[in-house]
Amino acid sequence: MSYMFTQLSREWRFMLRQKYLLVLLGCALLISGFSVLSGLNEVEQQQHTIERLKAADASDRTDAQHKHDEIGMLAYYTFHLTYSAPSDLAFAALGERDIYPWKHRIKMLAIEGQIYESDTQNAELTQAGKIDFVFVISALSPLIIILLFHDLFASERSSGRHDLLVTTAKSPWALWGARGAIRFIALFLCLMLPFYVGAWVSGTSLAAIGLVSLYCIIYLAFWALVSVYWGRNASSAPKVASGLIGMWVLFAFITPILGDLSINQLVHSPKGGDIVLTQREAVNDAWDLPKETTMDAFTATYPEWKEHVAMQSMFEWKWYYAFQQVGDQIAAPMSQEYREAASKKYQFAGYASLLSPPMLLQRLLTRLAETDAVAAHEYEQQVRDFHQALRLFHYPFLFAQGEFDKGELINMPSFDKFIFEQQQGRDTDSVQSANK
Amino acid sequence: MSDHSSSITPFAKTIIVAKDEWRYWLRSKLAISVLAIGLLLTLSSVIVTAINTMELSHTRHALQDNAEQTFADQPDRHPHRMVHYGHYAFRAPSPLSVLDPGVDAYTGNSIFLEGHRQNSAMFADQKQGTALTQLGSLTPAFIVQTLAPLLLILIGYSSVSRERESHTLTYLLSQGTSGFTLIAGKGLALLSVIGLILVPLTVSALFSLHEGESVVAILGFILGYALYLSVWALLVLLCSSALSKNSESFTALALTWILLCVVMPRVASSTAITTVPAAGKLETDFAVIAELRKLGDGHNANDPAFAQIKASLLEKYNVDSIEQLPVNYRGIIAMTSEAKLTEVLNEFAEERMQTELAQTKVSRYFGWLSPMVAIRSLSMLTAGTSIETHHKFLREAEDLRFNFVQSLNKVHTEQLSYQDDMNRNKDDDASLKARVGATNWQVLEDFTFAVDKPSLRLQRSAPAFLQLLAWIAALIIVIRWLGKRLV
Repeated sequence: MSYMFTQLSREWRFMLRQKYLLVLLGCALLISGFSVLSGLNEVEQQQHTIERLKAADASDRTDAQHKHDEIGMLAYYTFHLTYSAPSDLAFAALGERDIYPWKHRIKMLAIEGQIYESDTQNAELTQAGKIDFVFVISALSPLIIILLFHDLFASERSSGRHDLLVTTAKSPWALWGARGAIRFIALFLCLMLPFYVGAWVSGTSLAAIGLVSLYCIIYLAFWALVSVYWGRNASSAPKVASGLIGMWVLFAFITPILGDLSINQLVHSPKGGDIVLTQREAVNDAWDLPKETTMDAFTATYPEWKEHVAMQSMFEWKWYYAFQQVGDQIAAPMSQEYREAASKKYQFAGYASLLSPPMLLQRLLTRLAETDAVAAHEYEQQVRDFHQALRLFHYPFLFAQGEFDKGELINMPSFDKFIFEQQQGRDTDSVQSANK
Repeated sequence: MSDHSSSITPFAKTIIVAKDEWRYWLRSKLAISVLAIGLLLTLSSVIVTAINTMELSHTRHALQDNAEQTFADQPDRHPHRMVHYGHYAFRAPSPLSVLDPGVDAYTGNSIFLEGHRQNSAMFADQKQGTALTQLGSLTPAFIVQTLAPLLLILIGYSSVSRERESHTLTYLLSQGTSGFTLIAGKGLALLSVIGLILVPLTVSALFSLHEGESVVAILGFILGYALYLSVWALLVLLCSSALSKNSESFTALALTWILLCVVMPRVASSTAITTVPAAGKLETDFAVIAELRKLGDGHNANDPAFAQIKASLLEKYNVDSIEQLPVNYRGIIAMTSEAKLTEVLNEFAEERMQTELAQTKVSRYFGWLSPMVAIRSLSMLTAGTSIETHHKFLREAEDLRFNFVQSLNKVHTEQLSYQDDMNRNKDDDASLKARVGATNWQVLEDFTFAVDKPSLRLQRSAPAFLQLLAWIAALIIVIRWLGKRLV
């Protein structure tokens, strides 16, 4: 043990005397620190935004409910905030929350006309990409590793010390192993320390921290081993590094881009614009269609209101909301296809990322942080489910000709309660399946 | 090097040095493969992006025509129904987006236009993306901005340091070749590589002439890239002459590339987002709602907010009640409230755009620290694919929206009697009476989105040009000073 320690401390002292190594490590620490800091900042802003929106939403709803008495009017003027809060790991993997919307204001009208509204950030900044911890590890750290490890042997060879070192060292492990280990540990600490601080600040679960650490160690070790192996017999350090950087370009840019091109050729998706057009045509045509046509299409899905479709005047709210729903039903197949195409693309991108370690790591970590396309689609589904709950709450008052009492509004679904119950449901499901 | 007498002019010597550098590259496997890969990438990116852009352009023009056609084809209706039927605006891509698509894939490219609301642009292509192109995409802009500098580094890192390592440098200098001439020769060789890289770009840019792009914009665009790559050639020369070993020169250049091309652009955007927080559209919507409450609801003509309008109308036409007015009171209310509401909406929309511009400005300042950030803004601004262009689209779409809604409200006011309008929900006959002929739907202007004038685009990219020129000037000064001390 003490023998190993001697080797390591010698290499440690040796490393501290090499200026360019210190510059590299300093850069790693700085960039990683910056990425964690800006990630924390971004997540905090998102949380503040949600808090502010919640308050504004509540007072807006109170206002609307105060102003109107008729259930149809109430449904028309009452909006509901839906949102997807960032997870406690989101600071490290901001993922695609700058591309997919994570907040909406929804009301009783056709959902297909509302769900595609995007409230995203400055496109020019999104296009440049952001610097988060995942980016630092997946894209940047391989380059730093290449610069740290490619000349492990070559530098000694070119300065003529190589053979002397090899013959005087007790074992190659004592020399190269200790040197490699020291560099690896130093780099690992420089990259990961900011993350650990960030995780402590955000209260990330230990399991998540452990998983992230494991992924990162494997990933960094992969690049370190490749760099050392590639450079083991070489005498020209730059040639080794050129090859390694070429490999990095291949993994980080070329294979993902080729994957992207071929996936877009393979998977055909309906155009988003067509969904909205279809839905709009359906809703607008309904005004001029015989009322029965709309009501029949509506009761095909909701047979419980079959007895309540007769109308007393040319306009009634129940008919209005029925044709909103029918518009959704007509656009549903396309909308379904659109979402399936997106998830198929995600699945294929998974295969493509097997050929690109940086992409693979990004996928793993954004999945863990729930900031990827899958999380965005889950949120969209939540919004759709909530919209349905909202409709189901209103239908009895719209169709059953009873008197509507405003006190009933207390029981109106709220998104907060809705996701809480969903979560509860999932937890009990998992407990039950664990007990089986 | 073949030996030459010192009677040759320095310029001729420079040419000789450059030729010799080429000879070295052609003999070196690494340099040849790097060159080949670089050119192949540039070429394929140009072709792929050109095909994509043509497809996009074609689709969006077709969709625009289709939207206009379906609007005009609607049957007889109550005019306000057409206000809610709405219309679409599509953003046709700019001609130079074949080289730099810029924000195109990140902003929605269609907007649904309807009464009383300003919708956001929908269906950004990235949302149906694979998330594989987060690190880079196969666009000429990305390839030339990020990978071309790497190519220059890989073939040029040893240009001067190699001569020093193999002890030919002292020999050359003692032969009467000045240090500066040597560096200039190596620089010339690198410049010729830059020329090679720019050929596919220039050819593709010339094709956009056919799409109506101006020569000035194309020249500015290509010149920008030439300046940018020259910055890198100078950086390569600087490191190679200042550092004594090939490996040191390589490491320094690789680190420089990592910092300037990979890290800085993202640091710039992250800094911009955190220093200038922008409220999202949802959030400003609440402010809009609060503001609108004061205006009254245009759907409800009895809203007390309109009492004053009513009074002045009765006075103007000298009648006692709304029913006696020669125009439809509901139409007037719809018109007035739409105008007031639009004023409020535009105020907030403008504020949001200003915030976005302020953010973008912060990130563009980083061009002083990284030539990559400078060329990014220069390229997007010149090509008309920057955030400014998107804002222009938003404004024009809004004008289109306002004009067609108000034209319909005018029809509502003049072509439909107030009595018929009030009875519209009584029975089928009354509902038919409360309609106007489909000939009234010819109110849409033809909407074709075009980018800003080239002069304006170039004017906007002036700071980025300055940033690149400053980099070049600073590097040349340092290299001249180094050339004198070359040993």
